[in-house]
Order: sequence, then structure tokens, then C-alpha cells
Amino acid sequence: MSGLSLAPQLKRNAQALEGAAVKGRSLWDDARRRLFRNRAAVASMILLGLFLLAAIVGPWLTPDHFDTINKNDVWDPPLTNGHLLGTDSLGRDLLARVLVGLRVSLAIGVVATAVSLVIGVTWGATAGFLGGAVDELMMRFVDVLYTLPFIFFVILLMVTFGRHFLLIFLAIGCVEWLTMSRIVRGQTLSLKQKEFVEAARAAGLSTPAIIGRHIVPNLLGPVVVYATLTIPGVILLESFLSFLGMGVQEPLTSLGTLISNGAEEMDLAPWLLIFPSLVMVLTLAAFNFIGDGLRDAIDPKDR
Amino acid sequence: MRTAFRVTVALRVAAALGLAGGLAACGPQKAIRAPCPSGQVCLEFGNGLDPVSLDPPKTTGVWEDRVMGEMLIGLTQDDAEGRPVPGMATSWETSPDGKVWTFHLRKAQWSDGVPVTAGDFVFGLRRLMDPATASQYAYLLFFIKNAEAVNAGKLPLTALGARAIDDRTLELTLDHPAPYLPEIAKHQTMYPAPQHVIEKWGDHWTDPGHYVANGPYKLVSWKLGDRITLKKNPLYWDAGSVCIDQINMYPTIDPIGAERRVRRGELDISTDIQSNRIAYLRRPDQMPAYVHVAPYLGVAYLVFNTHVPALADRRVRIALDMSVDRDFITGKLDRDGRAPAYTFVPPGVANYQTMTAPVWASWPLERRQAAARALLAEAGYGPGHPLKLEYKHSNAPESMLVSPAIQSDWKAVGVQITLAEEDGQIAYQDLRVRDFQIGTASWIADYDDATSFLGLMQSQTGAQNYGDYHNPAYDALLAKADNEPDAKVRAGYLEQAERIMLADATVAPISFVVSKNLVSPKVTGWIDNVTDWHRVQFMCIKK
Repeated sequence: MSGLSLAPQLKRNAQALEGAAVKGRSLWDDARRRLFRNRAAVASMILLGLFLLAAIVGPWLTPDHFDTINKNDVWDPPLTNGHLLGTDSLGRDLLARVLVGLRVSLAIGVVATAVSLVIGVTWGATAGFLGGAVDELMMRFVDVLYTLPFIFFVILLMVTFGRHFLLIFLAIGCVEWLTMSRIVRGQTLSLKQKEFVEAARAAGLSTPAIIGRHIVPNLLGPVVVYATLTIPGVILLESFLSFLGMGVQEPLTSLGTLISNGAEEMDLAPWLLIFPSLVMVLTLAAFNFIGDGLRDAIDPKDR
Repeated sequence: MRTAFRVTVALRVAAALGLAGGLAACGPQKAIRAPCPSGQVCLEFGNGLDPVSLDPPKTTGVWEDRVMGEMLIGLTQDDAEGRPVPGMATSWETSPDGKVWTFHLRKAQWSDGVPVTAGDFVFGLRRLMDPATASQYAYLLFFIKNAEAVNAGKLPLTALGARAIDDRTLELTLDHPAPYLPEIAKHQTMYPAPQHVIEKWGDHWTDPGHYVANGPYKLVSWKLGDRITLKKNPLYWDAGSVCIDQINMYPTIDPIGAERRVRRGELDISTDIQSNRIAYLRRPDQMPAYVHVAPYLGVAYLVFNTHVPALADRRVRIALDMSVDRDFITGKLDRDGRAPAYTFVPPGVANYQTMTAPVWASWPLERRQAAARALLAEAGYGPGHPLKLEYKHSNAPESMLVSPAIQSDWKAVGVQITLAEEDGQIAYQDLRVRDFQIGTASWIADYDDATSFLGLMQSQTGAQNYGDYHNPAYDALLAKADNEPDAKVRAGYLEQAERIMLADATVAPISFVVSKNLVSPKVTGWIDNVTDWHRVQFMCIKK
């Protein structure tokens, strides 16, 4: 009979614990304050916000569409014939192309990172929390995928399915989640020894609930930092693919494609290399500064 | 003969990784010429692409013949300006009706000391026509008696009109007079085949160590993706006048990369220049003395696959054909001096007047676009029901530059085109197996005659008639021309045929190409010419 009378008590305990977890915000407030004190990170956020806005709205505002060919304006230098950044070898407005390229690169960066986030966090947290043979199996699977040479994987994908925009997302996402899952697993291993997990377990929470309510939220710090640093990595990876001619298909473009084409013509039309590179460098730097800022802000040990 | 050579993705990856490695090693690099034995003259030659094979009937590309032609010599051979001069044959005579040719061979040896005989020529021709060889170029010699039937497997190889009267006399019997025979006799399809070697080694006769040559050079090594090395052949009949001792031929996949290697002195010759860089390279502070641009008997064109339902409609093909703005492509994109093309046979071809351009060629673009829209509407396509097609092109810098312009020209008349870029060799392979909707190709004369171009669209041509153009009237006119002794009347038939072919518009000629080479001023003996053949035996290097 005593067992029966204990059940409501346990439930109440669990609810109380959950309530406490939701209220524990002061740490994040702290982190936010620290982040906003970091000037480089704030400047990067402003810049990135502007870039994001330009990438989303910009292509609709430029006088030329990104694939409009101006037959009389081939290789115009910047500030001629109404082309702010000049034109390329086909007479297409570079500003319009850079904006579209930025849009594509950011989209690939964000989407591929999101894909890697979803797969990586789920996979890593599950492996880490369950432990034992399951963990062993899941992580060996990750190891096997790690050995797959990325370029050959992409070439295989392209040969099998033809060239498609979505394939690049898929290919990059498929590779990027591996590291994420390792980080998450490591964190989970240490988290699951913590007292609040013991408490949750004692309170009778199911395993998925513990992973979802207690492990994942506590992983947020390292995951956010790593995700922020993954985006520029993905953008670079896409550029690398474009450089090899396996990126997006003409006339669509990405920053990597623009830089690759610009590099071929750098002694003739340097602006075709300079502007896309500048945008790329600023974007990557901004992401990295934000990532660094976040890491400093979230991880108090690092101070 | 096809010009295009191109980037294989794998090679490009290797190049990029190599580049990364080079950057990691860092610092400006010195020109690294391949080691050359002391006291010898070595030529570093950027050949565009690795050969598919060095077995003549299995090749179709100019880059392949640039290698083979240094080692194998036909009945005639190239002089320094690419004109045919006596090669293995010292003289020849024809029967009064022009159908029987007798060639008298010189006393010559293969590089292993075995004599070159008339039998080697007969063996070579039979191999070419043998259905088992599956040569894509066999049709070029279909003027030889029974050749077409032999190639189709209907007659035995021995029925071919080629006969060795004795070791030093060869007799060719033709279906119809072919005054251009001495010119084709230097072509890669007519090289002699060393019977004693091929019978011993089979398909492996082309391996270094097995390959024998009767030309100025012999094969030393072939490292795939790296270089092919040739050395002087002391048994060549004219070995005394050969200056360069060793040739290294590189697959220079990227013309801009090759340009940098020439600039550094790592290469002496690059057989391609990125066309829109020519004006820049000609500047006095760049490398004006290196740039060689010359007229070339060749045409770059689009092919419409007649098996695609939409493209089976002649109105659609004409609409697509007429809405391409050639002036923009040649004048603003290529900028290498090439001319816009509205006919298939380039100007300057012997015994031929190019006057067959369609009427719309002289219209302004707006009028052509309006006419194209009208034709498409007639065919049932319009804003509500736009025509959607895929345009497959190679990833060569040149087609990467031109393709978006063509796409935009077609967009202007309401046709939605998806661009599909392919590795160069794969793009050609897709053309041969008809795995395309709209494709692009270029064709270089095999011999200086209109039939070298018009023959491509004959029904009997097979794989290289990419769009599968088939018109009995066209075939009949070409057959008539083949049997016409009078040059003027013959030209009339050919012109009529070309007019029919252009009106059917299964191909859309875009430009008449030019040859583009970067040649170090240290190289002597290079003479620009319309065939773009530059045999190394005539070259030397100034110290």
C-alpha cells in the first residue's frame, strides 16, 4: 500500500524539478551580458544582420537581375554604366550576382548546419546517454563515415543523381554532423553523471524525456558555439566544391563560384575577384567572431 | 576531327589539391622544367588532354593525333605548314577515271628495324574497317571500294579495295574519284599498322616498349595524367633533319593554367588559349610574341537531337537557331577574331563558295526574335505553355562562357533552358549515344573540302551525326557530288545540299573557329596555318 501512496509524491517531485529547470535563466542572462560586452562579436552581429538583410531583400532591389546579360557592358569596371561593382565577362551586374551568391552561400551554410545539428545532436545525445553497446555501435558508425573521402562522396552523388542544388545541402549536411555528434556525445557522457539527471531518473522520467528535457538543453552552450563555427566551414566547403566545378549550376551562383571565376580573370578584371572575396571574408570573419564571443560568454571556465 | 579537349573532374581535383599542396609548401616557385639529358634538346608541349588511346582507329581527337602523328607517318605527311607532302609514298599515279590509285613506297623501317611494307597499309585499312574495331572514324574512308559494306560486316575484310601489289607498291580502288586523297592519306585513319607487332601483342601493342614507330619519334613512356615522353627515332627516313631529341607532352587541362606554365618557362607550347584573354596577352607588357592566332577550317555549332519530340519539329529548331545572337558571342565573349557562323562549311574551303546562309542571317536580332516567337507559337509553345529543354555543354572555359549567353538568348523568345555542364569527354560521349536534348560540338576539317563538313550529316555517318539528321534528298545530293568529275558542278550540288541541311536546322552553326596557340619565341620552325598541324620534326629551340 505504501508504494501506491508514493506515486503522486514522485510525480510532484518530477514536476517541481522541471519547473526549476525552466526557471534557471540567470546563467543565460549572464552569458548574454558577457556577449554584448564583446565588441567584436557585436560588430559582427550587426554586419551579419546587414548581410542577411542584403542577401534576402537585395536581389529584388538591384536594377539588373543576376542573370541579365547586358550585351554592351562586358567587363565594365566598377562605377560605370550604372554598375556599382562592375560587370563580369558576360556583362552581368556584379552587385546583383554577389547578392545572389551571398544568399546562396548563406542558405547552404544555414541549412547544412541545421541538418547537421538535428542529426548530430540526436545521434550524439542518444549514443552518449544510452552508453554501452549501443554507444559503441553508433560511434563506430560515425567513425566509418569519417573515413569516407568527402570529394569522392560528392562526385559519386553527382554522378548518380545528377547535379542538383539540394545535393550540395545533403552532401555537406551528411558530413558535417559527424563532428557534432562526437562533441554532443562527450558532453552527454559527463552530463549524465550529474546529480540533476540522477534526480530526474529517481523521479521516474523516461529516457527520451530525460534526453529531451535535461541533456539537450544543457548541451546548448557547446552546440551553439560549434554550430556558429560550422556555418563558415560549410560556406568554405561549398566554395571548394564550386572551385572544382561541382557547385551550383550556372547562371545561379554562390560566393565560391564567383571567386573561382574571378580568380581566373584576376589580371584582367580584378574587381570580379576582389568584391566577392571581400564579402566572403567579412562573412566568415563575422561568423567566427560571433562563435568566439559565444564561447567566451557561455563557458565561464574559459574566462 | 574534334577540337575539344577537356577537364576531367578527377584531374581538376588533383590540380586543385596540387595547388593547395604548392601553396602549403609556399614561396614563389621556380620554373620547373622536366629534366632533360645534357646536350639534348627537349620540348615541353602542352597537349590539352591525355589521349584515349594511341591506336589510330580508336582515336578521334586532334590531341591524340598530335602524339600519334609524331610517331606514325602515312602515305603522305604534313610539311611545316600542314600541307600534304610525300611521306611513306614517294610518288603515286591515278587511273584515267580517277578510281584506281597506285602508291610507290619508299624504303623505310619501323623503329624495331622491320621494313614498312604495303601490307602494313592494307592491314591498317582492314583494321579500321573491321566491325570488331568499331572505329568511329571509318566512315571517312567510305570512298574506298566496298568499305561501307565491309564496315557493316556484309563483306569480308579481303573485299576492301586496298591491295599490296608487292612490298613497296600499294593499290587503292575507290568507289568514286576522290581528288582529296593525298590530303586524307596523312590523316590518322590512314596510318600504316605494324602487323608483326599487333599480331604479337594484340590490344597491348600500344604499350610503351611494344609500340613501334615509322615517324620521327618513338614512344618512351606514358604516365597517365602526367606526361607522354617521345624520343627521336634514328630509323626515321628523314632522321637527319630532326632537331629536337625529346618531347614531353602534358595533358594541360586548363588553358589558363597552361598559360601560366608557359609564362614560367615550364612549357614551350600550349595548344589552347582562353579566348577572351588574347587581347590581354597581346599587350606589350604581357607576352605578345607568344600569341599565335590563325584562321582555322572549323566550325563550332549546336546540335538538336531529333529524337526529342519537341525538337523533331523543324519550326522549333529554326526558332532556336535564329534566336542565337552570334555577333555578341564572337565579338564580345570569345574576342579571338573568330567570325559568326550561319553556314556549316567555313569560308576558304577549296572549290566551294559559302553562299548558303539562310535569309534570316542578315536580319537584325529583334526581327529574328519576333520570327522565332511566331514559329514557336505555331508549334504550340507560348507564355502559357513554354518550351522547356536541357542544354548540355562541356565544362571547358569556352563553353562555360558562351552557354549562359545562349540560354539568355533563348529565354528572350520564351524558351526555358536548363544548363547541364559535363566533363568534356563525357559531353562528347553523350552526343555519340544521343543522351542529350541540345548539345554543342565543334568540327575541324579532316581535309580541305566541303565534304569533310557536309559528310558529317549524312545518314551513313553514324555516331558522329549527333542529331541523327536524316534527309534522303541531302544524301542523294552528296552521292551525286561524289561522282561528279567537274569541280564547278560538284560545288553546285554540295551548295544545294548544304542549303537543304541548314533549312532543316538540325545543327545551328555558331562560329568559325580560329586556332590559338601559345608558343615560346625560343621555338623556331612554328608556322601558323589553316590546318593547325605543327609537327615537332620541323621545330627547334634557340639556346
